[in-house]
Amino acid sequence: MTTNAPKSISISVGDELPPFALDVTSTVIVAGAIASRDFMPAHHDPVFAKAQGAPDVFMNILTTNGYVARYVTDWAGPEAMLKSIRIRLGAPAVPGKVLHFSARVVDKREGGGECLLELAVRAANELGDHATGTVTLSLPVG
Amino acid sequence: MGDAQADPVRERLERYVGKPMGPASVAPDPVNVPMIRHWVDALDDRNPVYLDEALAATTRFGGLVAPPAMLQVWGMPRPKIEGIAERGGAPNEMRFENPISALDEAGYVGTLATNSELEFLRYLRPGEQLELSNEVESISSRKTTSLGQGYFVTWVTTFRTTEGEVVGRQLFRILKFDPSTIDLTKLQVPR
Repeated sequence: MTTNAPKSISISVGDELPPFALDVTSTVIVAGAIASRDFMPAHHDPVFAKAQGAPDVFMNILTTNGYVARYVTDWAGPEAMLKSIRIRLGAPAVPGKVLHFSARVVDKREGGGECLLELAVRAANELGDHATGTVTLSLPVG
Repeated sequence: MGDAQADPVRERLERYVGKPMGPASVAPDPVNVPMIRHWVDALDDRNPVYLDEALAATTRFGGLVAPPAMLQVWGMPRPKIEGIAERGGAPNEMRFENPISALDEAGYVGTLATNSELEFLRYLRPGEQLELSNEVESISSRKTTSLGQGYFVTWVTTFRTTEGEVVGRQLFRILKFDPSTIDLTKLQVPR
């Protein structure tokens, strides 16, 4: 990660991040829910989730934000500092449906001694867009 | 589709807008490495600034920091497991006046989260203790969506250190809907 992280000078508007496919399983969903201290039954109890009209247990929002952050910093490296994660929520992330992450650099500017990047991010599965939105981050200049 | 009709519920909701949603609270635990490690493993996030002290010291952070997306985690209330399903997943009884309970009582019992906007003013370090306050930003007029009629409720959580420094915010929007009003001819995602 450290050696592969891009220097801000080499990043251009329009650049695409390498795609990432998350094999969503019940374990992924439950591990994220409990690590985020979210004990809502819809995130670990399939009977409860189905009674609510969901196809199965589904990923909680804290975990979705966590994977979006991870996806971006896996690319941007340990010097990246996230400024915001703004997402619109759509199709649920459920076991057995791979979640495909993609992102594109839509803005780049310098300010306050930092290089500020804005990324358009999407996480989608075969049900549709799970999360779409923007992530802003900064990298050291240069 | 009813959006413009007289709406007594909407009038009742008006008094919540711009007001605190419940009392301010203190995070159950300070930012801490065991919870960070649990999170890092659960999400398989190998960014070294979260757990590798030596490497983190060489970055612009100068030491370990918490994963930014854990901001909301620090504020999660301690749950009362008994009865959580009967409460629809709410970790505790909401004992204060709030628009979500008011909408439940009015029949808008369905809940769908539509937006989350996390803002990080800076990264947090192990040992920092956070305080949270919630304010209702807006409540929409009654909308007709693919899930039936409902209201979009938006609130903002502000995260402060115990010294009063604002370190982050989260805007959250949910749709509270009445499942009995679903119009099956409308199948688009609610907006």
